[in-house]
Amino acid sequence: MARPLCPKGQRFQVRPVKFRPRVADDSVNVSKGNPLREFCLLFAGLAGVVFAGYMLLALLTSWAIKSLPLEAETWLGEMMVRDIPGKASPALQKRLDALLEHLPKDSPLRKYKFRVYLLDTDEANAVALPGGAIVVYKGLLNMLDSENELSMVLGHELGHFAHRDHLRRLGKGLVLNAAMWLIFGKVAGSEQLLFPLLAGLDSRYSKGQEEAADAFGLRLLYLRYGHVAGATEFFRKILEKDDYSRFKYLLSTHPDPKSRMEHLKILAQRNGWPEGRPAPLGPDLKALLEKNDSKK
Amino acid sequence: MLDFFIRYMDLLLPICLLVLGYIIGGMLERRHFRSLKARELRFLVLPAVTFRNMPGHETAKGELVMGSAVISVDYFKRFLAILRNIFGGRVSSYESLVDRARREAILRMKEQASRMGADIIVNMRIETSAIGNAANSRRSVGSVEAIAYGTALVPKRAEISGAASEI
Repeated sequence: MARPLCPKGQRFQVRPVKFRPRVADDSVNVSKGNPLREFCLLFAGLAGVVFAGYMLLALLTSWAIKSLPLEAETWLGEMMVRDIPGKASPALQKRLDALLEHLPKDSPLRKYKFRVYLLDTDEANAVALPGGAIVVYKGLLNMLDSENELSMVLGHELGHFAHRDHLRRLGKGLVLNAAMWLIFGKVAGSEQLLFPLLAGLDSRYSKGQEEAADAFGLRLLYLRYGHVAGATEFFRKILEKDDYSRFKYLLSTHPDPKSRMEHLKILAQRNGWPEGRPAPLGPDLKALLEKNDSKK
Repeated sequence: MLDFFIRYMDLLLPICLLVLGYIIGGMLERRHFRSLKARELRFLVLPAVTFRNMPGHETAKGELVMGSAVISVDYFKRFLAILRNIFGGRVSSYESLVDRARREAILRMKEQASRMGADIIVNMRIETSAIGNAANSRRSVGSVEAIAYGTALVPKRAEISGAASEI
């Protein structure tokens, strides 16, 4: 019994097909549509997802660092200091302790046990690590001419502790890296593109943090010396040192030195903090620098 | 300005490669498609079919012919495919690569067959494979290979004329 296959009830029959050569139709196997459009759509989608995730993480971290107990922070800090080949410096510690005495009695910073480390590199920088460790780079120390400038640098870092920026940066970086790794794993190139974009997004936020830390440092400087000499010296030296361009600071995490100087000047004026005479560097600090020079 | 480029190399380099891949890769692809079309027209007289034999063909000899082609992915296509891998769907940026490889392989097979004096290729098969094994891996460039093979049938008449021309 044959099944009726054709509409008219005819039996299905194999008929010889006449072969007619023809050019393959190239529209079948290749999707039509502009690849650029597809690219834009997908990229926008990805950027949206990452942005939303990033914002969520930012919220989460800022919530987490508020409730992170000091013990956990100290523990974290000890882990990090172990990796940094800095040496504890008694000369710097003396300056820091003098500054700390002028902190307000109810300051949350009183709970910390601050330590200063000196790192032997030419880079001019200083960082605040969790748990109360401040690392000063030798390159920065070499740029200083007075005790006041050093106090300003240390005060700035203390400001980061007071605003808990040191944790914020750490937490966010950690979470962002983990998220990127989870999303892309090793098999991707797109994080190369996204990461700097997010860093740029973040820079405005962290510029605000830097200015707040500057303000904290300035106040401490005034409380310590009774005037604010040396507050802007360091920035002026940076400006003189490298060829200044605003462009360079566009995506940087720190505001450009010029606007930081102006910000500090305005603050000092508004509070009526006078400009005094800076105290020259003490002999123990000079010894630190000379040791460095003789090595060169 | 130069300072800016050096500073943001990580960001600018992929963008440059993307633009380059899109413009040059697209140009080369269009050119290849034009060439494919022209050569397919030329080889219209030498059909390749999937039948196992050709009834009524006066065969003097049948011989294996094959052609293979390897087509590489460009930076833009790879990036698009990576994005596609996240969201899912048709990886349309790779479709044209596979299509080009297949058609190029068939044309090369026909080229070989026509040199033999064949007038038809029967029992044609096409196979595809990825070369480099890591088409999406970061540091290696993925390519696709297509290989087409079949039996070229040389008709009696052509063999005589072929032999004559050899003398």
